[in-house]
Amino acid sequence: MPFDVAITLRRGKLRLDYAFRTEKGGLTALFGPSGAGKTSLLDAIAGLARPSEGHIMVEDTVLFDKARRIDLKPEQRRCGYVFQDLRLFPHKSVRDNLLYGWHLAPPDRRWMDLDTALGFLGIGHLLDRRPATLSGGEAQRVAIGRALLSGPRFLLMDEPLASVDAERREEILTVIERIRDELALPILYVSHDRAEVDRLASRVIAI
Amino acid sequence: MRKPLAFILSLFMAFAALVPPAFAQQSGPLVLAAASLQESMNAVADAWAAKGHARPKISFAGSSALARQIEAGAPADLFVSADEPWMDEVQGKGLLRPKTRVSFLTNNLVLIAPANKPVRLKIAPGFRLAAALGPNRLAVADPNAVPAGVYAKQALTRLKVWPSVQGKLAPAENVRAALALVSRGAAPLGVVYATDARAEPGVRVVDTFPAASHDPISYPVALLAASRHKDAEGFRRFLISAEGKAVFRRFGFGTR
Amino acid sequence: MTALTPEEWQVLVLSLKVSGVAMAAALPLAFVLAWVLARWRFPGKVLLDALVHLPLVLPPVVTGWLLLIAFGTNGPLGRFLAEWLGLTFIFRWTGAALAAAVMALPLMVRAMRLSIEAVDRRLESAARTLGAGRWRTFASVTLPLAMPGVLAGLVLGLARSIGEFGATITFASNIPGETQTLPLAIYSALQMPGSEWQVTRLAVLSILVSVVALMASEWLARRSGQGSAHHAL
Repeated sequence: MPFDVAITLRRGKLRLDYAFRTEKGGLTALFGPSGAGKTSLLDAIAGLARPSEGHIMVEDTVLFDKARRIDLKPEQRRCGYVFQDLRLFPHKSVRDNLLYGWHLAPPDRRWMDLDTALGFLGIGHLLDRRPATLSGGEAQRVAIGRALLSGPRFLLMDEPLASVDAERREEILTVIERIRDELALPILYVSHDRAEVDRLASRVIAI
Repeated sequence: MRKPLAFILSLFMAFAALVPPAFAQQSGPLVLAAASLQESMNAVADAWAAKGHARPKISFAGSSALARQIEAGAPADLFVSADEPWMDEVQGKGLLRPKTRVSFLTNNLVLIAPANKPVRLKIAPGFRLAAALGPNRLAVADPNAVPAGVYAKQALTRLKVWPSVQGKLAPAENVRAALALVSRGAAPLGVVYATDARAEPGVRVVDTFPAASHDPISYPVALLAASRHKDAEGFRRFLISAEGKAVFRRFGFGTR
Repeated sequence: MTALTPEEWQVLVLSLKVSGVAMAAALPLAFVLAWVLARWRFPGKVLLDALVHLPLVLPPVVTGWLLLIAFGTNGPLGRFLAEWLGLTFIFRWTGAALAAAVMALPLMVRAMRLSIEAVDRRLESAARTLGAGRWRTFASVTLPLAMPGVLAGLVLGLARSIGEFGATITFASNIPGETQTLPLAIYSALQMPGSEWQVTRLAVLSILVSVVALMASEWLARRSGQGSAHHAL
C-alpha cells in the first residue's frame, strides 16, 4: 500500500482536504487544473508544508500523523522530489547537483550510482556545466537524476514537462516511463495534461 | 510635477529674503582665545557688552590650533595665546597689527586629581609620579604643541620625572580636554593651569608646580592684521585695562 | 618629503590592526543580526532594525559619547568587562576597535541582510528533500549563495572603520601608538602649523586605502549580482 494520505491543509482562509490511497506501486497521477492545490499536496508529503490535521503514510512508514504527534523532518522522509521549477543549485556544477543527495545518503541507501543515472538519463556530457547554461530539457533530466541519486523510497514529480519544449517532450516521457517500469519506485505524478496522464499513469486521482 | 516645485522654490526664496535681516544685526568682533580662558574671557565679554557694545564672539581652542587657523586666513580680529612662542609664530608671518601686542596675564601650573580621590603627592625633583599613576595615564594637553602641555613637559623634565612618565600620557587637544579626562575619572592625575582647576569642581589640586620648573606662563593679546571690526581695538584696550584685568584676577589669573 | 616617517608607518599599522580586529568582532554579530532581520518575524523587530541603524544616523560624536557612558571607566559595561575579562577600552586600541566596529556595523548588516534575503528559499527546501538537515542546508546552499554580499559588507565595513574618527576620538581619545588611527593622526597634524607635508602624506594614504576598499567592495557586490544567480532555475 504505497500511499495513504488523508490531510487537511490551510492556505490562508482556505481549507483544503485531500484523501486517497493507492493499492499497488507504479505511477499514480494527480490530475486537475492549475491552482487546485496539487503542489501544496506534494509539499505536505515531502514535509515542506505542515497539514493541520490528518496522516501521511508511504510504504508503511508514517511520515506525518497529527493525532500521534509524528512529523518527520523533510530530510528524514527519503522522498525524491522533482520540483516544477527544478530548483537546481546555481552555484554548483551539474555533477555536484546530481551527487548532492547521494553524498548525504548512507551507503546502504544509495541504490543507484552516478554512472547508471548518467546512462539512464543521457546527461553524461553535461557533468561540468553550470545549471544556468543548460536547456530546459537538459535541466529537467538533471533534476530527475538528482532526485534519483539521493536514494529515495518514492518519487514526487510536479509537472515535469512544463518547462520542456515540444521536441524534448518525448525524451522526458520516455525517461519517466523507464523509471516507472525499471525502478520499483512508487511515483506520484502531478499534471494538468490529460494526454500525459493517460500515457503514463496506472491510476488517476482527480484533484 | 511643476506645481510642487514652484511651491518649494517660492518657499526657499521667502526664507532667503527673511534671513539677511538677521545678519544685518551688528555682531561683535571675533576673538580667538586659548582654551584656559573660557570662563574669564566670557565674563570680560559680558562686561564689555554691558557697556552697550556688541558682544564679542569668542572661539576657544588650543593656542596651536588657533595659530594654524590664523595662518590659514581665519577672518578673526583678536588673538589671545597661552604662550609667547605661538604669538611669535603668528607675528613672524606678518599677521599681527604692529604695536598691538601686549602680555597681560600670568598663570600657574598644577597637578590635579578627581575631587573624590585622596591621593597625596609633593612636587619636588624626582617625585614619584609614575608610581602614583600605576597602570593609568597622566592627562595633559598635547606636549608637542599646546602651551599647557609644553609647560607640563618643561616642568616634568626639569624635575627629572619626564622619562618615567613620557610613555604614560593621555594627550588632549587643549587643556580643558585634559581637565575633563581627570574630572571624568578616566585619568587619575593631570597637569593643567591653576585657573582650570578652580573652574572645575570635579577636580582638586594635589600640588602646584614651582614657578622655576617652567618658563613663565604669560598670555599675550594682539590685534590681527586682517581685523576689520570697528570694535576690535576697543575691546583689546578693555582687556588690558584695569577693569578688564580685575575680571581675570577674579578667576585666578595673575596680571602684569 | 614623500616617504613615510616611522611614526606614520606606525599609524598605518595601528589603523589596520584596529580595523582588522573590529571586523573580526563585527562580522559574526553583523551576520547574526542580518539573518534575524531577514528571516525572523517577531514583535519589536522594527525596534531592533532602528537600533542597528542608529550609529549610521547619529552624529558620530554622540555615538562616541554613548560608548563612553556604557563602556567608560565608570560605565556599567566598562566596569563589568574590566572586572571579569580584564578588558579596558579608554586610551587603548581596544576602544578604537570597539568604536570602529559599532560605526561599521549598520553598513555591514544592511549589505548582508540584502544578500540573505536574495537567497531563494525554494533552493533550501530542495536541499532538505535531498537529505540535508538545517545546518547542512545553511552551510552548503544558503551561505555560499549569500557569500558575495557578506564579503561586500565586510569590505564596506572595513573601509568605514578605517575612516572612523568622531566616535573614536570621543570615546578612546587620541593616544599616539594606541588609538591614534589614520584619521586622528591627520587631525592632530592639522592642529600644528607648518605640517602640510605630513598631512598630505597621511591624507593620500587614507585616500588610497579607502579607494582600494571601495573598489573591492564594488567588485564583490557585482559578482554577487551577475556571477552566481541567487534564484532557482
